[in-house]
Amino acid sequence: MLPIVSLTLFLPLLGALFIMCQRNVAAEKVHKIGIITSALTLLGSIWMWIRGVADSGFAQVEQIEWMPSIGAAYRVGVDGISLPLVILTTLLFLLTFIYSSKVRERPQAFVVLMLILETAAIGTFTALDAILFYVFFEVSLVSMYFMIAGWGHEDRQRAALMFFIYTLLGSLPLLLAILGLYLGGDTHTFDMRVWIENPPLEGTAAMLALIAMLFTFAVKTPVFPFHTWLPAAHVQAPAAASVILAGVMLKFGTYGLVRFALQMTPEAFREAAITVLVFGIVAALYGAFAALAQTDIKRLIAYTSVNHMGYIIVGVAIAALTLDPEIRAIALDGSVLQMISHGLVTGALFFLVGMLQDRAHTREMDQFGGLLKTVPLLAWFFIIAAFASLGLPGLAHFPAEFQIFLATLKAAPWAIIVILGIVITAGLYLKAISQVFLGASNEKWKTMPDLDRRELWTLSPLLFFIILLGVAPSWVLDVIHKTTTALTF
Amino acid sequence: MNKDLVLMIPEIIVLLTAVAALIAEMLRQPRIALSACIAGLALATLATIPMLGENATAFSETFRIDTLSIWAKLILLPTTLLAVLLVRAELGGSDREGTAYVLLIMVTLGSLIMAGAGDTMLIVLGVLLSSLGSFALVAYPRDDAATEAAMKFFVFASMTASIMIFGLTYWFGGTGSTLLSELHILEKSSALAAIGFITVVIGLGYKAALVPFHFWAPDAYEGAPISIAAYLSVVPKIGAIFALAQVVRDLPTDSGWQWVLAIIAVLTMTFGYLAALVQQNVVRLLAYSSIAQAGYFLLGILAIGISPLAVESLIVFSAAYVAMNLGAFAIIMQIGRTLDSFKNMGFKHPLAGIAMVVFLISLAGIPPLAGFVGKFLLFAAAMDAGFTWLVVIAIINSVLSLAVYLRIVMPMYQQPTADKPSKSEEKQDNVISLYLVKPVWLVGLIFTVLIGLAAQILLGRL
Repeated sequence: MLPIVSLTLFLPLLGALFIMCQRNVAAEKVHKIGIITSALTLLGSIWMWIRGVADSGFAQVEQIEWMPSIGAAYRVGVDGISLPLVILTTLLFLLTFIYSSKVRERPQAFVVLMLILETAAIGTFTALDAILFYVFFEVSLVSMYFMIAGWGHEDRQRAALMFFIYTLLGSLPLLLAILGLYLGGDTHTFDMRVWIENPPLEGTAAMLALIAMLFTFAVKTPVFPFHTWLPAAHVQAPAAASVILAGVMLKFGTYGLVRFALQMTPEAFREAAITVLVFGIVAALYGAFAALAQTDIKRLIAYTSVNHMGYIIVGVAIAALTLDPEIRAIALDGSVLQMISHGLVTGALFFLVGMLQDRAHTREMDQFGGLLKTVPLLAWFFIIAAFASLGLPGLAHFPAEFQIFLATLKAAPWAIIVILGIVITAGLYLKAISQVFLGASNEKWKTMPDLDRRELWTLSPLLFFIILLGVAPSWVLDVIHKTTTALTF
Repeated sequence: MNKDLVLMIPEIIVLLTAVAALIAEMLRQPRIALSACIAGLALATLATIPMLGENATAFSETFRIDTLSIWAKLILLPTTLLAVLLVRAELGGSDREGTAYVLLIMVTLGSLIMAGAGDTMLIVLGVLLSSLGSFALVAYPRDDAATEAAMKFFVFASMTASIMIFGLTYWFGGTGSTLLSELHILEKSSALAAIGFITVVIGLGYKAALVPFHFWAPDAYEGAPISIAAYLSVVPKIGAIFALAQVVRDLPTDSGWQWVLAIIAVLTMTFGYLAALVQQNVVRLLAYSSIAQAGYFLLGILAIGISPLAVESLIVFSAAYVAMNLGAFAIIMQIGRTLDSFKNMGFKHPLAGIAMVVFLISLAGIPPLAGFVGKFLLFAAAMDAGFTWLVVIAIINSVLSLAVYLRIVMPMYQQPTADKPSKSEEKQDNVISLYLVKPVWLVGLIFTVLIGLAAQILLGRL
């Protein structure tokens, strides 16, 4: 058997090393290597998808000894929760490489950092060893720091610094929890499968570990009131980094919430479920209201991320709260699908904002107007993505959010107030669309060019999947469902 | 007697190397002194390798050949070799060049004696031997800054060493022996144990630059040549840390010594990084950072005797610390002492820039680099010993440390604002031989990455 998971995981890193070994290569060639590498990586993940997941537990597991004297090993594998995320990651990275092929400012370093980031992201989703997970989790921070600091906008140094320190502060408690789980178990191992099988901690120790993990993942997701790094980082980050940050890296938080918090300390999570649920509701509503107040279109989308991630938190909390395995499966199905939809939709939106900014060099919504006539393609793409983001049936977010709300209604009916978020997002997107694309057209943008070939290549796959997931989500849901029904805790 | 001598072969080689280098220097042959040092250090390292796994004592238990002391040799001897190269790069051609090599070797010998000490008198001997050499090394440039730094260093060292010797007399009175292995007798008289231990912490704490015995360090590092600062920030420090580990191994565990170390660890980490946060001089910044890093070592020391991870974590972190700290200092030698000289450095020297970033984020403890593995094991050891609160504080300090190290990284990749010719580069009085500095940080870079990815090399042979 070919070790496809490891190949997919390290392919981008190899590409990065290959580029690093070359001197004075032309920008086009560097971007070409980046695109080819990430395309191959996407193929690798599709191969993983074809191989499929197991009925319970992890499939396609590959392991090698690493530090046997402390019980750490290189272990990777996938299940129905991580496999869709891997596909999402490889797809978004490929599109990001296509979109960024116009970068002329230090292209070599840019592509190398992006490729390292891709390996880190795939590694975070496929790692089955806690140390390995932590390593990838942190490496992503380093490369993202340099992405923001190197290719960001006006105030990038400050934003990058804040991002790095904030999220490092966020991720170190996870290290504490990992050590606690390691020392608490009978056999000293960092094998996550063992921890999921027999949660090593109980009682107060489990609760403390859970609090540490919740803190980490709340910062990463981000959940109100730990979200303040997100708008700052997004506004300063280059469009490519924003797409990855929102599309892939925010999922580290929610993925960790399921993989670590829910699966490794299930009892403690059940006790704390109501609190987590409240945090999720507050995050969803706060994100929506905060987005409503924005005039900068990139900040607006950044805040809707807080809103969408809030629904995922609600879904996971419901899964912990309920004792009915059926409702739990529905809630988790919805949450995982929501991660995928959010990656696709927000990815598309950040690309579109980036394209708008490339043309207009501003992101203030009141500067625009009537763009539907000048750049119809861009406008329609944006409108479809925005409708998807507000949860319109037939588009990607609808089946995910529907399942989350369904499970919420069954397990904790009062929590359904979170649905108000949908109303607010609908309002704010309509406002944004009318301000930017409708109304009197601004003279300044009369000559704005519409989407070119590169941009169409970037956006079309996303739009395709947004519609596909909305109309026929079952091909992804089946994979997710296989794993969520087999969860026992 | 013969067996004792065989066990001490590496130390004896180091001593003979120093003597040979001294003779060569007296004959005004610094190049021969240099070659003798390199050959001697390499030979001593090779002579240590077959000893791995040995657990013995020499000269009626006064010197220990155990995991700690063997790894101290395997880490410190190659480090000294690299430091010799750095010194050659910076001071080569000056009129007393050879004496610097001799002193380096003697300080290393003192540090090795500390790391293997099985007897309080050997600790004193090691501290004095390494201190005397260090004063002279700091004062080497003979200018005002160096002389003042050496003077401060000297006064501080004399004071703390005499306090330690005074305190050790209590232990001698209580046990009737200077051997560390007899310390368990003090189980019933905890006051005696405490007085002796506190003075040992003062004496060794000064060597390791633990807060509040650190005052000499930033001045000495700043006044000394950079290569000497690089050396002082690693070799004597690790010698003293290992000596402390040798002492606590035999102390009765219930006498509360862990708490003394825990409090000092908190002070050291926090103060070190807070002070580093406001420095403008990179050497001073790294001086405070190396103070803070010493605090992390204590997490491993206080788990000795409780957690099986303690000794492993100390060794891994020592190796990691040596690689990244020496590497960072080597880059400073190449680039310059002030934060300004690091502006745009990442664009001008791409490879050195990457290396510096690797060293700094490894110092901050970010995976997958050596510093992460070392700190991770230290945290695990301390948690295993029941000091979770201390690990929490160490983790908070790690965040602080990132802010410290990013202060160097940020200007490195800042866009050049105006095309001013950078003066800082030309300002250095003596030209540094880059062909010697580059290999040093390359070795540091390789080991910082290697230990991070394959710490098992160090763990497996324990």
